Amino acid sequence: MRIPKFEYVRPLTVEEACSLLYKYKTDAKILAGGTDLFVKMKKKKILPKAVISLNGIKRLDRIEWDERENVGMGPLVTHDGLVRHPTMRKKFDFLCEACLKIGTRQVRNMGTLAGNLCNASPSSDASAPLLVLEAKLKLVHLYGERIVPLEDFFVGPFQTVLHPEEIVAEIRIPKLPPHTAGSYQYVHKASSVGETLVGVAVLLTVNPEDATCQEARIGLSSVAPTPIRAKAAERTLKGRRMDAKIIEEAAQVVSDEIQPRSRPWYRREMARVLVERAIFQAMEKIG
Amino acid sequence: MKKQLIDLRINGDSCEVAVEPQRTLLEVLREDLGLTGAKEACGTGECGACTVLADGKPILSCLTLAIEAQGKEITTIEGLSKAGELHPLQKAFIQQGAIQCGYCTSGMILNAKSILDENPKPSREEILKGLEGNLCRCTGYNKILEAVMAASTGKD
Repeated sequence: MRIPKFEYVRPLTVEEACSLLYKYKTDAKILAGGTDLFVKMKKKKILPKAVISLNGIKRLDRIEWDERENVGMGPLVTHDGLVRHPTMRKKFDFLCEACLKIGTRQVRNMGTLAGNLCNASPSSDASAPLLVLEAKLKLVHLYGERIVPLEDFFVGPFQTVLHPEEIVAEIRIPKLPPHTAGSYQYVHKASSVGETLVGVAVLLTVNPEDATCQEARIGLSSVAPTPIRAKAAERTLKGRRMDAKIIEEAAQVVSDEIQPRSRPWYRREMARVLVERAIFQAMEKIG
Repeated sequence: MKKQLIDLRINGDSCEVAVEPQRTLLEVLREDLGLTGAKEACGTGECGACTVLADGKPILSCLTLAIEAQGKEITTIEGLSKAGELHPLQKAFIQQGAIQCGYCTSGMILNAKSILDENPKPSREEILKGLEGNLCRCTGYNKILEAVMAASTGKD
Protein backbone atom coordinates (compact mmCIF):
# COMPACT_ATOMS: atom_id res chain seq x y z
CA MET A 1 0.00 0.00 0.00
CA ARG A 2 1.45 3.35 -1.03
CA ILE A 3 0.97 6.77 0.45
CA PRO A 4 -0.47 9.11 -2.21
CA LYS A 5 1.77 11.99 -3.24
CA PHE A 6 1.89 15.18 -1.22
CA GLU A 7 4.00 18.24 -0.74
CA TYR A 8 6.26 17.79 2.29
CA VAL A 9 7.10 20.74 4.47
CA ARG A 10 9.21 20.72 7.57
CA PRO A 11 9.02 23.98 9.51
CA LEU A 12 11.63 24.73 12.17
CA THR A 13 9.38 26.69 14.52
CA VAL A 14 5.76 26.50 15.68
CA GLU A 15 5.18 29.99 14.23
CA GLU A 16 6.37 28.78 10.84
CA ALA A 17 4.11 25.74 11.10
CA CYS A 18 1.18 28.03 11.91
CA SER A 19 1.86 30.26 8.94
CA LEU A 20 2.04 27.19 6.68
CA LEU A 21 -1.29 26.02 8.08
CA TYR A 22 -2.72 29.43 7.40
CA LYS A 23 -1.52 29.20 3.82
CA TYR A 24 -2.83 25.68 3.15
CA LYS A 25 -5.81 25.63 5.52
CA THR A 26 -7.83 22.45 4.92
CA ASP A 27 -5.37 21.29 2.25
CA ALA A 28 -2.74 20.44 4.84
CA LYS A 29 -2.37 17.86 7.57
CA ILE A 30 -0.02 17.94 10.52
CA LEU A 31 2.41 15.04 10.84
CA ALA A 32 3.50 14.01 14.32
CA GLY A 33 3.87 10.23 14.73
CA GLY A 34 2.14 9.29 11.48
CA THR A 35 0.43 6.17 12.83
CA ASP A 36 -3.05 7.56 12.16
CA LEU A 37 -2.28 10.01 9.36
CA PHE A 38 -0.53 7.62 6.98
CA VAL A 39 -3.07 4.84 7.52
CA LYS A 40 -5.84 7.26 6.54
CA MET A 41 -3.83 8.49 3.55
CA LYS A 42 -3.04 4.97 2.37
CA LYS A 43 -6.72 4.12 2.55
CA LYS A 44 -7.43 7.40 0.71
CA LYS A 45 -9.76 8.55 3.45
CA ILE A 46 -7.91 11.85 3.42
CA LEU A 47 -5.74 13.23 0.63
CA PRO A 48 -3.99 16.37 1.87
CA LYS A 49 -2.12 18.47 -0.65
CA ALA A 50 0.56 19.16 1.93
CA VAL A 51 1.91 17.38 4.98
CA ILE A 52 3.45 19.64 7.59
CA SER A 53 5.89 17.71 9.73
CA LEU A 54 6.40 18.91 13.30
CA ASN A 55 9.46 16.71 13.67
CA GLY A 56 11.89 19.44 12.66
CA ILE A 57 10.82 21.66 15.55
CA LYS A 58 13.01 21.35 18.60
CA ARG A 59 11.80 20.55 22.10
CA LEU A 60 8.26 19.59 21.17
CA ASP A 61 8.81 16.27 22.95
CA ARG A 62 9.44 17.93 26.29
CA ILE A 63 7.60 17.21 29.54
CA GLU A 64 8.08 19.99 32.06
CA TRP A 65 6.61 21.54 35.19
CA ASP A 66 5.84 25.20 35.74
CA GLU A 67 6.33 27.05 39.05
CA ARG A 68 2.88 25.93 40.20
CA GLU A 69 3.74 22.29 39.46
CA ASN A 70 1.38 22.00 36.52
CA VAL A 71 2.68 19.66 33.84
CA GLY A 72 3.09 20.74 30.24
CA MET A 73 3.65 18.16 27.53
CA GLY A 74 4.69 19.11 24.02
CA PRO A 75 2.78 17.75 21.01
CA LEU A 76 5.55 15.30 20.10
CA VAL A 77 5.53 13.45 23.43
CA THR A 78 4.99 9.83 22.41
CA HIS A 79 3.12 7.26 24.46
CA ASP A 80 6.46 5.59 25.09
CA GLY A 81 8.09 8.89 26.05
CA LEU A 82 5.34 9.46 28.60
CA VAL A 83 5.41 6.01 30.21
CA ARG A 84 9.19 6.11 30.47
CA HIS A 85 9.21 9.44 32.27
CA PRO A 86 9.97 8.57 35.92
CA THR A 87 8.03 11.48 37.43
CA MET A 88 5.03 10.96 35.17
CA ARG A 89 5.01 7.28 36.12
CA LYS A 90 4.98 8.18 39.76
CA LYS A 91 2.51 11.06 39.70
CA PHE A 92 0.19 9.86 36.96
CA ASP A 93 0.52 6.10 37.16
CA PHE A 94 -2.96 5.43 35.82
CA LEU A 95 -2.44 7.69 32.80
CA CYS A 96 0.75 5.74 32.05
CA GLU A 97 -1.13 2.44 32.41
CA ALA A 98 -3.68 3.67 29.87
CA CYS A 99 -0.90 4.69 27.48
CA LEU A 100 0.74 1.27 27.86
CA LYS A 101 -2.52 -0.23 26.66
CA ILE A 102 -2.40 1.82 23.43
CA GLY A 103 -1.32 0.01 20.26
CA THR A 104 1.90 -1.96 20.41
CA ARG A 105 5.53 -1.22 21.29
CA GLN A 106 6.06 0.04 17.76
CA VAL A 107 2.97 2.26 17.81
CA ARG A 108 3.80 3.64 21.26
CA ASN A 109 7.28 4.59 20.02
CA MET A 110 5.79 6.56 17.14
CA GLY A 111 2.32 7.73 18.12
CA THR A 112 1.93 10.90 20.17
CA LEU A 113 -0.51 11.75 22.92
CA ALA A 114 -1.55 14.94 21.10
CA GLY A 115 -2.09 13.02 17.87
CA ASN A 116 -4.19 10.48 19.71
CA LEU A 117 -6.40 13.27 21.09
CA CYS A 118 -6.69 14.97 17.68
CA ASN A 119 -7.76 11.68 16.14
CA ALA A 120 -10.60 11.82 18.68
CA SER A 121 -11.53 8.18 18.61
CA PRO A 122 -14.40 7.54 21.04
CA SER A 123 -12.35 4.58 22.33
CA SER A 124 -9.09 6.51 22.88
CA ASP A 125 -7.43 5.07 26.00
CA ALA A 126 -5.52 8.19 26.99
CA SER A 127 -8.67 10.31 26.95
CA ALA A 128 -10.44 8.93 30.02
CA PRO A 129 -7.46 9.53 32.38
CA LEU A 130 -6.78 12.95 30.83
CA LEU A 131 -10.44 13.89 31.27
CA VAL A 132 -10.38 13.11 34.99
CA LEU A 133 -7.06 14.92 35.33
CA GLU A 134 -8.88 17.91 33.77
CA ALA A 135 -6.22 18.30 31.13
CA LYS A 136 -6.31 21.40 28.98
CA LEU A 137 -5.03 21.86 25.46
CA LYS A 138 -3.20 24.91 24.27
CA LEU A 139 -4.22 25.50 20.66
CA VAL A 140 -2.13 27.99 18.75
CA HIS A 141 -2.65 29.67 15.40
CA LEU A 142 -0.88 32.39 13.50
CA TYR A 143 -2.63 35.23 15.33
CA GLY A 144 -3.02 33.89 18.84
CA GLU A 145 -3.86 30.98 21.06
CA ARG A 146 -6.68 29.58 23.18
CA ILE A 147 -6.87 27.12 26.04
CA VAL A 148 -9.53 24.44 25.68
CA PRO A 149 -10.42 21.95 28.42
CA LEU A 150 -10.16 18.43 26.99
CA GLU A 151 -13.82 17.89 27.85
CA ASP A 152 -14.77 20.63 25.36
CA PHE A 153 -12.25 19.49 22.76
CA PHE A 154 -14.20 16.45 21.58
CA VAL A 155 -17.43 17.18 19.71
CA GLY A 156 -18.26 13.85 18.09
CA PRO A 157 -16.72 10.60 16.89
CA PHE A 158 -13.37 11.60 15.31
CA GLN A 159 -14.34 15.26 15.56
CA THR A 160 -12.79 18.03 17.64
CA VAL A 161 -13.05 21.80 17.95
CA LEU A 162 -9.56 22.17 16.44
CA HIS A 163 -9.68 24.59 13.48
CA PRO A 164 -7.73 23.73 10.34
CA GLU A 165 -5.32 26.60 11.10
CA GLU A 166 -4.62 25.45 14.65
CA ILE A 167 -1.97 23.23 16.20
CA VAL A 168 -2.11 21.53 19.60
CA ALA A 169 0.97 23.13 21.11
CA GLU A 170 0.70 21.70 24.62
CA ILE A 171 -1.24 19.32 26.83
CA ARG A 172 -1.45 20.68 30.37
CA ILE A 173 -2.28 18.75 33.49
CA PRO A 174 -2.94 20.72 36.67
CA LYS A 175 -1.23 19.76 39.91
CA LEU A 176 -3.11 17.20 41.96
CA PRO A 177 -4.25 17.96 45.51
CA PRO A 178 -3.02 15.74 48.38
CA HIS A 179 -4.80 12.48 49.27
CA THR A 180 -5.61 11.98 45.61
CA ALA A 181 -5.16 8.92 43.42
CA GLY A 182 -6.48 7.56 40.18
CA SER A 183 -7.08 4.27 38.45
CA TYR A 184 -7.65 3.12 34.88
CA GLN A 185 -9.59 -0.07 34.15
CA TYR A 186 -10.62 -1.44 30.79
CA VAL A 187 -11.90 -4.35 28.76
CA HIS A 188 -10.90 -4.69 25.14
CA LYS A 189 -11.76 -6.58 21.98
CA ALA A 190 -9.80 -9.70 21.12
CA SER A 191 -8.42 -8.41 17.81
CA SER A 192 -5.00 -7.46 16.45
CA VAL A 193 -5.60 -3.88 17.52
CA GLY A 194 -7.39 -4.79 20.76
CA GLU A 195 -9.61 -1.74 20.67
CA THR A 196 -11.01 -0.77 24.06
CA LEU A 197 -14.67 -1.72 24.59
CA VAL A 198 -14.99 0.16 27.83
CA GLY A 199 -12.30 2.30 29.45
CA VAL A 200 -12.84 3.81 32.89
CA ALA A 201 -10.67 6.33 34.69
CA VAL A 202 -11.41 7.43 38.23
CA LEU A 203 -9.71 10.17 40.22
CA LEU A 204 -10.56 10.48 43.90
CA THR A 205 -9.63 12.83 46.69
CA VAL A 206 -10.56 11.35 50.05
CA ASN A 207 -10.35 13.13 53.38
CA PRO A 208 -8.11 10.91 55.55
CA GLU A 209 -9.86 12.02 58.77
CA ASP A 210 -13.38 10.85 58.05
CA ALA A 211 -13.10 8.98 54.71
CA THR A 212 -15.43 11.42 52.96
CA CYS A 213 -15.05 12.00 49.26
CA GLN A 214 -13.81 15.53 48.62
CA GLU A 215 -13.54 15.15 44.88
CA ALA A 216 -14.62 12.41 42.49
CA ARG A 217 -14.07 12.40 38.78
CA ILE A 218 -15.08 9.59 36.48
CA GLY A 219 -14.10 9.49 32.81
CA LEU A 220 -15.05 6.88 30.26
CA SER A 221 -14.11 6.01 26.72
CA SER A 222 -15.92 3.91 24.18
CA VAL A 223 -19.35 4.30 25.80
CA ALA A 224 -20.58 7.43 24.00
CA PRO A 225 -19.89 9.34 20.77
CA THR A 226 -16.89 10.93 22.51
CA PRO A 227 -14.88 10.17 25.65
CA ILE A 228 -17.01 11.58 28.47
CA ARG A 229 -17.21 12.45 32.17
CA ALA A 230 -19.93 10.79 34.24
CA LYS A 231 -21.01 13.87 36.15
CA ALA A 232 -24.16 12.50 37.76
CA ALA A 233 -22.16 9.64 39.29
CA GLU A 234 -19.50 12.09 40.44
CA ARG A 235 -22.19 14.09 42.28
CA THR A 236 -23.40 10.87 43.92
CA LEU A 237 -19.99 10.43 45.53
CA LYS A 238 -18.98 13.97 46.43
CA GLY A 239 -19.22 14.75 50.11
CA ARG A 240 -20.23 11.22 50.99
CA ARG A 241 -18.45 8.69 53.15
CA MET A 242 -16.81 6.16 50.83
CA ASP A 243 -18.42 2.84 51.73
CA ALA A 244 -19.39 -0.16 49.62
CA LYS A 245 -22.99 0.95 49.30
CA ILE A 246 -22.27 4.41 47.89
CA ILE A 247 -19.67 2.99 45.50
CA GLU A 248 -22.18 0.49 44.19
CA GLU A 249 -24.73 3.24 43.79
CA ALA A 250 -22.31 5.50 41.89
CA ALA A 251 -21.34 2.65 39.57
CA GLN A 252 -25.01 2.09 38.79
CA VAL A 253 -25.48 5.78 38.04
CA VAL A 254 -22.57 5.60 35.56
CA SER A 255 -24.13 2.59 33.91
CA ASP A 256 -27.38 4.53 33.49
CA GLU A 257 -25.91 7.82 32.31
CA ILE A 258 -23.62 6.57 29.52
CA GLN A 259 -24.85 6.30 25.91
CA PRO A 260 -23.18 3.34 24.23
CA ARG A 261 -23.76 3.29 20.49
CA SER A 262 -23.42 -0.47 20.16
CA ARG A 263 -23.52 -3.49 22.51
CA PRO A 264 -25.30 -1.28 25.05
CA TRP A 265 -26.14 -4.00 27.54
CA TYR A 266 -22.57 -5.30 27.69
CA ARG A 267 -21.02 -1.86 27.83
CA ARG A 268 -23.35 -0.71 30.64
CA GLU A 269 -22.61 -3.83 32.66
CA MET A 270 -18.87 -3.53 32.14
CA ALA A 271 -18.89 0.18 32.92
CA ARG A 272 -20.58 -0.60 36.23
CA VAL A 273 -18.06 -3.29 37.12
CA LEU A 274 -15.03 -1.28 36.01
CA VAL A 275 -16.12 1.88 37.84
CA GLU A 276 -16.37 -0.10 41.08
CA ARG A 277 -12.96 -1.64 40.48
CA ALA A 278 -11.40 1.72 39.65
CA ILE A 279 -12.87 3.37 42.75
CA PHE A 280 -11.61 0.58 45.00
CA GLN A 281 -8.16 0.71 43.44
CA ALA A 282 -7.94 4.49 43.76
CA MET A 283 -8.99 4.26 47.42
CA GLU A 284 -6.38 1.62 48.06
CA LYS A 285 -3.71 3.89 46.59
CA ILE A 286 -4.79 6.79 48.80
CA GLY A 287 -4.54 4.41 51.77
CA MET B 1 6.90 16.66 -5.83
CA LYS B 2 10.54 16.53 -6.82
CA LYS B 3 12.91 13.95 -5.48
CA GLN B 4 15.04 15.05 -2.58
CA LEU B 5 18.44 13.80 -1.60
CA ILE B 6 18.40 12.35 1.88
CA ASP B 7 21.05 10.89 4.15
CA LEU B 8 20.21 7.72 5.99
CA ARG B 9 22.23 5.81 8.56
CA ILE B 10 21.50 2.14 8.06
CA ASN B 11 23.23 -0.68 9.91
CA GLY B 12 26.12 1.62 10.70
CA ASP B 13 26.63 2.82 7.12
CA SER B 14 25.69 6.17 5.67
CA CYS B 15 23.85 6.23 2.40
CA GLU B 16 22.47 8.94 0.18
CA VAL B 17 19.23 8.27 -1.66
CA ALA B 18 17.01 10.43 -3.86
CA VAL B 19 13.40 9.97 -2.76
CA GLU B 20 10.01 11.51 -3.22
CA PRO B 21 8.61 12.57 0.17
CA GLN B 22 5.67 10.16 0.18
CA ARG B 23 7.93 7.12 0.02
CA THR B 24 8.10 5.09 3.19
CA LEU B 25 11.26 3.91 4.86
CA LEU B 26 10.14 0.37 4.06
CA GLU B 27 9.89 1.10 0.33
CA VAL B 28 13.30 2.75 0.25
CA LEU B 29 14.94 -0.07 2.22
CA ARG B 30 13.48 -2.74 -0.04
CA GLU B 31 13.39 -1.07 -3.44
CA ASP B 32 16.31 1.35 -3.42
CA LEU B 33 18.74 -0.25 -1.01
CA GLY B 34 18.04 -3.93 -1.64
CA LEU B 35 17.44 -4.61 2.06
CA THR B 36 14.46 -6.93 1.71
CA GLY B 37 14.49 -8.31 5.25
CA ALA B 38 11.76 -5.93 6.40
CA LYS B 39 8.46 -7.03 4.90
CA GLU B 40 5.20 -5.41 4.00
CA ALA B 41 2.09 -7.28 5.07
CA CYS B 42 -0.78 -5.14 6.35
CA GLY B 43 0.75 -1.77 5.49
CA THR B 44 -1.31 -0.15 8.24
CA GLY B 45 0.70 -0.73 11.40
CA GLU B 46 -1.02 -3.78 12.80
CA CYS B 47 1.22 -6.72 11.89
CA GLY B 48 4.77 -5.61 12.68
CA ALA B 49 6.35 -7.36 9.66
CA CYS B 50 7.97 -4.06 8.64
CA THR B 51 9.54 -3.46 12.08
CA VAL B 52 13.01 -1.93 12.09
CA LEU B 53 14.91 -0.27 14.93
CA ALA B 54 15.35 3.50 15.02
CA ASP B 55 17.95 4.45 17.65
CA GLY B 56 17.35 1.01 19.15
CA LYS B 57 13.57 1.34 19.37
CA PRO B 58 11.19 -0.69 17.23
CA ILE B 59 9.19 1.36 14.73
CA LEU B 60 6.94 0.57 11.78
CA SER B 61 8.86 1.33 8.60
CA CYS B 62 5.63 1.15 6.56
CA LEU B 63 4.26 4.21 8.38
CA THR B 64 7.54 6.14 8.54
CA LEU B 65 8.60 8.45 5.73
CA ALA B 66 12.12 7.74 4.56
CA ILE B 67 12.72 11.49 4.63
CA GLU B 68 11.81 11.54 8.33
CA ALA B 69 14.22 8.71 9.16
CA GLN B 70 17.15 11.05 8.62
CA GLY B 71 19.32 11.58 11.68
CA LYS B 72 18.31 8.26 13.17
CA GLU B 73 20.39 5.11 13.42
CA ILE B 74 18.31 2.51 11.57
CA THR B 75 18.93 -1.19 12.18
CA THR B 76 17.43 -3.82 9.90
CA ILE B 77 17.69 -7.57 10.20
CA GLU B 78 20.60 -7.44 7.74
CA GLY B 79 22.57 -5.48 10.33
CA LEU B 80 22.31 -7.97 13.18
CA SER B 81 25.00 -10.49 12.29
CA LYS B 82 28.54 -9.46 13.10
CA ALA B 83 31.49 -10.69 10.98
CA GLY B 84 29.46 -13.51 9.50
CA GLU B 85 28.32 -14.65 12.95
CA LEU B 86 24.55 -14.70 13.49
CA HIS B 87 23.09 -12.75 16.40
CA PRO B 88 22.15 -14.98 19.39
CA LEU B 89 18.46 -14.30 18.67
CA GLN B 90 18.85 -15.40 15.06
CA LYS B 91 20.58 -18.59 16.23
CA ALA B 92 17.90 -19.24 18.82
CA PHE B 93 15.11 -18.78 16.24
CA ILE B 94 16.80 -21.38 14.02
CA GLN B 95 17.53 -23.79 16.86
CA GLN B 96 14.05 -23.60 18.34
CA GLY B 97 12.30 -23.91 14.97
CA ALA B 98 10.72 -20.50 15.47
CA ILE B 99 10.66 -19.78 11.75
CA GLN B 100 7.95 -21.23 9.54
CA CYS B 101 7.18 -19.13 6.46
CA GLY B 102 9.59 -16.51 7.74
CA TYR B 103 7.54 -13.48 6.86
CA CYS B 104 7.22 -12.21 10.42
CA THR B 105 10.72 -13.27 11.48
CA SER B 106 12.69 -10.08 10.78
CA GLY B 107 10.23 -7.96 12.70
CA MET B 108 9.97 -10.50 15.51
CA ILE B 109 13.73 -10.71 15.96
CA LEU B 110 14.26 -6.95 15.85
CA ASN B 111 11.48 -6.26 18.33
CA ALA B 112 12.77 -9.11 20.53
CA LYS B 113 16.24 -7.55 20.37
CA SER B 114 14.91 -4.24 21.64
CA ILE B 115 13.06 -6.07 24.42
CA LEU B 116 16.23 -7.90 25.51
CA ASP B 117 18.40 -4.78 25.19
CA GLU B 118 16.07 -3.10 27.65
CA ASN B 119 15.58 -6.07 29.95
CA PRO B 120 18.00 -8.99 29.47
CA LYS B 121 15.87 -11.36 31.57
CA PRO B 122 12.23 -10.73 30.74
CA SER B 123 9.47 -13.02 31.98
CA ARG B 124 7.34 -15.00 29.52
CA GLU B 125 4.55 -12.47 30.05
CA GLU B 126 6.86 -9.55 29.38
CA ILE B 127 8.01 -11.14 26.13
CA LEU B 128 4.44 -11.87 25.05
CA LYS B 129 3.32 -8.35 25.89
CA GLY B 130 6.39 -6.93 24.13
CA LEU B 131 5.80 -8.93 20.97
CA GLU B 132 2.07 -8.19 20.77
CA GLY B 133 2.66 -5.96 17.77
CA ASN B 134 4.19 -8.75 15.70
CA LEU B 135 1.73 -11.17 14.18
CA CYS B 136 2.71 -14.65 12.99
CA ARG B 137 0.09 -16.03 10.60
CA CYS B 138 1.66 -19.50 10.82
CA THR B 139 0.77 -19.05 14.50
CA GLY B 140 4.08 -20.43 15.71
CA TYR B 141 4.05 -18.23 18.78
CA ASN B 142 5.19 -20.86 21.27
CA LYS B 143 8.41 -21.56 19.39
CA ILE B 144 9.03 -17.85 19.02
CA LEU B 145 8.55 -17.38 22.76
CA GLU B 146 10.90 -20.32 23.44
CA ALA B 147 13.51 -18.81 21.14
CA VAL B 148 13.42 -15.43 22.85
CA MET B 149 13.57 -17.16 26.26
CA ALA B 150 16.57 -19.20 25.08
CA ALA B 151 18.37 -16.12 23.76
CA SER B 152 17.70 -14.25 26.99
CA THR B 153 19.03 -16.97 29.27
CA GLY B 154 21.99 -17.36 26.90
CA LYS B 155 23.04 -13.86 27.81
CA ASP B 156 23.90 -14.49 31.47
